[in-house]
Amino acid sequence: MGRCLGGSDTLFGLDARKRNFRFSISFHGSCICALLTAYLFYKTESAESRPVTKIFLRCAWFTMVVLAASIVTKSGKVLVSRQFVEMSRIRIEGLLAAFPKLVGTGKQHTFVETENVRYVYQPIEALYLLLVTNKQSNILEDLDTLRLLSKLVPEYSPSLDEEGVCKMAFELIFAFDEAISLGNKENLTVAQVKQYCEMESHEERLHKLVMQNKINETKDIMKRKASEIDKSKIEKNRGDKGGLMALSGPRRIESSFNDMSISNSGSGFGSGSGIGLSSDVESFSIKPKGRPSASATAPSKGLGMKLGKTQKTNQFLESLKAEGEVILEDVQPNVAQSKSSLPSTDPVTLTIEERLNVVIRRDGALNNFDIQGTLSLQILNQEDGFVQLQIENQDVPGLSFKTHPNINKELFNSKHIVGLKDPNRPFPAGQNDVGLMKWRIQGMDEASLPLTVNCWPSVSGGETYVNIEYEASESFDLQNVVISIPLPALREPPSIRQIDGEWKYDSRNSTLDWSILLIDHANRSGSMEFVVPPADSSVFFPIAVRFTAASTYSDVKVANVIPLRDNAPPKYTQRIQLIADTYQVV
Amino acid sequence: MEKSCSLLIHFDKRSQAMANEIKEALEGNDVEAKIDALKKAIMLLLNGESLPQLFITIVRYVLPSEDHTVQKLLLLYLEIIDKTDARGRVLPEMILICQNLRNNLQHPNEYIRGVTLRFLCRLTEPEILEPLVPSVLTNLDHRHPFIRRHALLAIAAIYRLPTGEQLLPDAPELIEKTLSSDQDLSARRNAFLMLASCAQPRAVAYLLSQADHVANWGDLLQMAALDLIRKVCRANPGEKGKHIKVIISLLSCPSEAVVYECASTLVSLSSAPTAIRAAANTYCRLLQSQSDNNVKLIVLDRLNELKTSHREIMVEMIMDVLRALSSPNLDIRRKTLDITLELITSRNIDEVVLTLKKEVVKTQSTELDKNGEYQQMLVQAIHSCAIKFPQVASTVVHLLMDFLGDSNVASAIDVVLFVREIIETNHKLRVSVITRLLDTFYQIRAARVCSCALWIIGEYCLSLSEVESGIATIKQCLGDVPFYTATEEGETADASKKLQQVNSSVTVSSRRPVVLADGTYATQSAALETALSAPTVLPGSLASPGNLRALILSGDFFVGAVIASTLTKLVLRLEEVQPSKAEANKACTDAVLIMTSMLQLGQSSFLPHPIDNDSYDRIVLCIRLLCNTGDDVRKICSQSCRQSFAAMLAEKQFQENEAIKAKAQISYAQPDDLIDFYHLKSRKGMSQLELEDEVQDDLKRATGEFMKDGDDANKLNRILQLTGFSDPVYAESFVTVHHYDIVLDVTVINRTKETLQNLCLELATMGDLKLVDRPQNYTLAPESSKQIRANIKVSSTETGVIFGNIVYETSNVHERTVVVLNDIHIDIMAYISPATCSDVTFRNMWAEFEWENKVAVNTIIQDEREFLNHIIKSTNMKCLTPLSALDGNCGFLAANLYAKSVFGEDALVNISVEKQADRKLNGYIRIRSKTQGIALSLGDKITLKQKGGSN
Repeated sequence: MGRCLGGSDTLFGLDARKRNFRFSISFHGSCICALLTAYLFYKTESAESRPVTKIFLRCAWFTMVVLAASIVTKSGKVLVSRQFVEMSRIRIEGLLAAFPKLVGTGKQHTFVETENVRYVYQPIEALYLLLVTNKQSNILEDLDTLRLLSKLVPEYSPSLDEEGVCKMAFELIFAFDEAISLGNKENLTVAQVKQYCEMESHEERLHKLVMQNKINETKDIMKRKASEIDKSKIEKNRGDKGGLMALSGPRRIESSFNDMSISNSGSGFGSGSGIGLSSDVESFSIKPKGRPSASATAPSKGLGMKLGKTQKTNQFLESLKAEGEVILEDVQPNVAQSKSSLPSTDPVTLTIEERLNVVIRRDGALNNFDIQGTLSLQILNQEDGFVQLQIENQDVPGLSFKTHPNINKELFNSKHIVGLKDPNRPFPAGQNDVGLMKWRIQGMDEASLPLTVNCWPSVSGGETYVNIEYEASESFDLQNVVISIPLPALREPPSIRQIDGEWKYDSRNSTLDWSILLIDHANRSGSMEFVVPPADSSVFFPIAVRFTAASTYSDVKVANVIPLRDNAPPKYTQRIQLIADTYQVV
Repeated sequence: MEKSCSLLIHFDKRSQAMANEIKEALEGNDVEAKIDALKKAIMLLLNGESLPQLFITIVRYVLPSEDHTVQKLLLLYLEIIDKTDARGRVLPEMILICQNLRNNLQHPNEYIRGVTLRFLCRLTEPEILEPLVPSVLTNLDHRHPFIRRHALLAIAAIYRLPTGEQLLPDAPELIEKTLSSDQDLSARRNAFLMLASCAQPRAVAYLLSQADHVANWGDLLQMAALDLIRKVCRANPGEKGKHIKVIISLLSCPSEAVVYECASTLVSLSSAPTAIRAAANTYCRLLQSQSDNNVKLIVLDRLNELKTSHREIMVEMIMDVLRALSSPNLDIRRKTLDITLELITSRNIDEVVLTLKKEVVKTQSTELDKNGEYQQMLVQAIHSCAIKFPQVASTVVHLLMDFLGDSNVASAIDVVLFVREIIETNHKLRVSVITRLLDTFYQIRAARVCSCALWIIGEYCLSLSEVESGIATIKQCLGDVPFYTATEEGETADASKKLQQVNSSVTVSSRRPVVLADGTYATQSAALETALSAPTVLPGSLASPGNLRALILSGDFFVGAVIASTLTKLVLRLEEVQPSKAEANKACTDAVLIMTSMLQLGQSSFLPHPIDNDSYDRIVLCIRLLCNTGDDVRKICSQSCRQSFAAMLAEKQFQENEAIKAKAQISYAQPDDLIDFYHLKSRKGMSQLELEDEVQDDLKRATGEFMKDGDDANKLNRILQLTGFSDPVYAESFVTVHHYDIVLDVTVINRTKETLQNLCLELATMGDLKLVDRPQNYTLAPESSKQIRANIKVSSTETGVIFGNIVYETSNVHERTVVVLNDIHIDIMAYISPATCSDVTFRNMWAEFEWENKVAVNTIIQDEREFLNHIIKSTNMKCLTPLSALDGNCGFLAANLYAKSVFGEDALVNISVEKQADRKLNGYIRIRSKTQGIALSLGDKITLKQKGGSN
């Protein structure tokens, strides 16, 4: 958990996990759009000619291209050759081998045409620099390009003989790549190409500088905090030192610092991170092998509830146009964004959150059931900071509270009131949530699970029938329930026989998402049945479940906000949420 | 589909590194060593090694590297490794690189991003690209144009994948947005190209909306626009009208490249005279303004194409085209002349000839080395003008005759040939031409020009005065007889020594036999050779006034023989036209005196070598004729020669006409050809090839996509059995010979009940063949079969042999078992194709080429012609000797054959056979080529096939 409870959240805004998560969402979004556009294409485009035109030379979308730029010796040995369109090795070798025989001596022009190609060349000492183009190619452009290349070659290869060129072969290829972008001419100068090849980037330097600063800064803070904490420990009894800023201890800062360095290092999941690599491997390795056809992935009802809610058909084009943004800002009920989704306007905002970490075995036994709660406070104005909070909660076995070191413990234990040790100090104000209190509930049994999922794959007649049912407990009304069942790699979406709710097949991750907007007393249980080609039953696990609910286990609430000064109690709002953080059936 | 190859690097075997060394270096921390190792690894991969174990090392140790060069090399590495397994599925480990690619796409360094995006363009695996799509899209808005350019390319490339529309459903919209907002020219070009290829209607809409501003677009974008216009109009000719305006506006664009492209677009779109005229005008302008020879030549090619398709318009442009003659380059001048010569009409002939004349005069005044050839070209051009339009002959012939005495022999010969033809075809000019010729005769230096001029004098001096002045001119040029006196011998002793040296050196260099135009294989006399090579003005004879005398004194008795026969003709004619018998007799005796003097000179020791028998016989014959004339002889001398010349001209004319007719014939469609109505065609069932236009075809041909699969039935006839039926592995193959490569399709069948492991087809080659790929190992189940394809590169025309083994292991025996295959012979015939060249080039090449292979004729065929045909058929060559020259049945036959290989090598063959008394053919076939391979292989082929008879 790299999340920060302290006020340093902005500093570590580039949380690695958050980024990954966002990334997977954007897959999601573009997939849905693929369905929609595919559908649109059927309506607008003369569809039958499309797939045919697709099977064609990839690079050659322009009819005037340089096929290859090469350096050969006068005897015909190919030293370096860079091809810009797809051609087989035997073909290019043949073309280049034929070239020296075609070059006449004593000619005053430097091109040769054969039946199929044109060579434009330039002798450089004992070598030929040559461009192979098609015959329709624009000679004027090609000569320009050749001129540029002929200036580049001596730049990169100081000795213009076989050995020198071979030594610098890769550098030459890089330069060729810059000068001819995939066969198309670029208007560049030698200096520009050199600049491109040197890859000196101002931005990178800046970035590195910023990174270094951040690292130094963080180290400083770390040191300071460490010493502060040491001090505060010594002077603990006096109770007049310390601040909320010191909430997250030195260990935490260090760990989040680690996270940051991974995510920002730009290249690589080396440096001992492990997180990025392993999670990516997971998500990619279950990717579909087949290609879902557009029609198959476009059932009219299967649009998924998120898009169905936010996008209307008449807005469709606008949204598609802006899709680059849409993908990234796609609003979904997810952990990372729910918190910051609505900037509060009330002077005091209280957020009470419980996160579920549940792992259930297939047979229904519990592997892990863990609830973690937080109470955090956001105060807009400093004046409103002189308050105390009256807490109410249900008595649940196994519930234990932990308060921030600056909170007056005695007051809390006796009266369930959260207030600062020093009543003359306000709560810190600003846009950030300030964590005040944490709690855990342990030792819960199966009976208290909000939702159980049963999955019964059975093979019959060359197909696998999968029956899934869920059962929700009476105590919660669950919102935005999504049950993701991994499927074997499929060419087409599974055929759904029966379903309560909606489904969507995510071909990218090869999962079937069964979503139910709301589970309340009306549908405490539901089921789905679908058929896929025969597969091992273990394929369908682990099933991941996501949901939110508006009430919590501990039922922690702020009953009242008590002003300490003589003014009216500030208006406050509280947000209470239960979130399934990890909810898996394995 | 064969794997595509994106880069080639020369691989030096000495620098070969072991895989474990590379691995070690890659694992180390030294960046330099890493770069070096990565380079080596790439080289090894390019050389056909597969380094499967290296991948993980690279993922672990190279991917995280911060160094830019390492990252770029890494991309190259990724580019060339196999990313899919045998069945075309993406290898699972490729996922490991995705993270790195994604990091690179978000790298703060704009160049890393750029090169990574460019790398993505070369990827075809949607599985790898898919997770990268969002990162690619974010790069679209980057402020650095370098990134945007490449991002656009990457998007276009991804979108063009078969699954592209699913990966990037909204790419066209995005790109359209970028196109209208971006400032960078290159980026806009890339965007436009993408739209043009993937969402044509959008591109067209954009183009039309911007039509007024197109002229201000940058050149790159304009090119793309033109490309689009061409595509659109081809697919949808009705759209033309909308776009022509754009093209017209671009025609006045400052960029020459765009202007050129405009012109070719115009030509491809429309055949309306205005459009063609505009295009032709543009080309002519480029022809003038561009200084680069390449451009000029290619523009001339375009004009040439226009000439064939729109002759009437090009006729108007002829003077503009002619202006290209101002270029000093010979190729350009030649091409220009070629084009103009086919465009002359009676209306413009005067102008053209005027220009040509001016050019000729220019060549006279300037002394450039190449001018001789140019002069010759001009003379030939004027020659053909004059033949087409006889009325111009009178205006040029006198001018040209100034060149008779020119030091440039080649053009002088052309001129004299021209004069000869004109005087025969254009009778009106005869008198003036003869007078002129007699006036300028003394200036002629070259022996060949002299003999030709003498022939003209002999044939066309008809009136009394002409005949008399003819005889007088010859006499004057010969100087006083005798040519040689006993006293002179001592004086010129040293001169003759020198002469001897000169001659001997000439003889040495020209000892090589030469093939004559008619195919006779002759050892020429050294004297003739001297005459051919240059007008030799010898030191001893400089003082003498006459050019003829100089020639004779230098030992050129061939000219002597020509003088003799000319004098004979003139004297005989004089007898007809001269009323006074005494005058005629006097002339006759003078002539005989000259002839005898020549004979005397020939037999003296004054010259290093005596008169050759042939000339001697002819001179003697002439003397005899003059001494006792008969009517037949008279007739022969005064008429038959001219008649046969006229016949020759007629034949030449006839052949030219035939050639023109044949050419015209080709362009007509066969009466039973199918006609395609483009608009009626359903495009649904059309194959891709039919849909694409010829421009695309051009590109595909260039990249080698057009490999026509020959008819399969034919293929089956050429199956080669490689192993026996009872071998554990049966193999057969068919061989397809492409231009530069040979493809072996080998079918291997396991005949045993065991699984064969590590089965490998090992091939080796002899001759100029090279295996392209390394053989792979296969596992062959019991009684199953496998198709193996092997590519072999050919670099020159030569008979090659491919031999090899099939090696395999079985599970119980651990030794490898080897089955030896039959040899596969690759025939030279697959590479050579008949070709033509002119007699002169043939003879030049014959003299120049190093390799000769002489094959003695040994055949059961008894007829010479039949034998020739047999050789032509079995060697796939073309007979250069005209059929008319092979007519008749004289027991001798000499012919030249010529062919060209696909590699551009020339193969020359001369056949000289004679029928022996026992009706057998006897003689030699000589093969000459620049390389040993052809000479040997072709010789072998002929030896093998010449026997004939049986088939």
